[in-house]
Amino acid sequence: MANIANYAADWEDFEAAAKRSIEQHMLNSFVHTYKPVLDDAEYRSFDSMEEYRHWCNENLPYWLGYSRD
Amino acid sequence: MSVFEFKSAQELGRTFDQHGVKYLFFGKSGAILLGYSDTTQDVDLYVDKNRDNCGKLVAALLELGFRLTENEQEEIGRGKDFIQLRNGPFDMDLIFAPDGIERFEDAWKRRVEKHSFPIANIDDIIGSKQAANRLKDRESLPRLLSFREWMRGIR
Repeated sequence: MANIANYAADWEDFEAAAKRSIEQHMLNSFVHTYKPVLDDAEYRSFDSMEEYRHWCNENLPYWLGYSRD
Repeated sequence: MSVFEFKSAQELGRTFDQHGVKYLFFGKSGAILLGYSDTTQDVDLYVDKNRDNCGKLVAALLELGFRLTENEQEEIGRGKDFIQLRNGPFDMDLIFAPDGIERFEDAWKRRVEKHSFPIANIDDIIGSKQAANRLKDRESLPRLLSFREWMRGIR
């Protein structure tokens, strides 16, 4: 039940966000950070999600969090 | 490339509507449009994978300013399962077969309309992240679950 305490802190954030305009909310939410490898091509396509997951696993730095391991 | 702002979302929505593209805001970007507070870099769209819809999608993307070669247009028109775009006014991922959802029609029926945008239901956004089960999904799930509980409380 430790999540209850976390929920309380989260909910303060959600309530604060709800009071902002959608324009401000989106300015706060969409940020640009360079992700190595992932952002180094203008276009990539994959025939299946499995192929995409495999590519992420094999090519992206682990710390980006795209691995299932 | 610029950051995705509300006016970008409006332009996307207007252009997709004009072309009749059937899509849903999805993933963390969808949750943000539902009011979720967190950060993300790109826009995730779940697009109905039928040839007619994908053809409309290509036209809409070109109008929005995405620079697509003929081969890329053909691939999008064919509806691959996942396409990553970094060649337009903002970063966008097109998802045609997200983990955890069998059919677009099912997600469409459960969608939420907010700010005039079609957005995947928070249950589908969470379910897909649970099914994808990547490290970054596992990290973001507790807060997304908390957001879903908060949403239920304010309804």
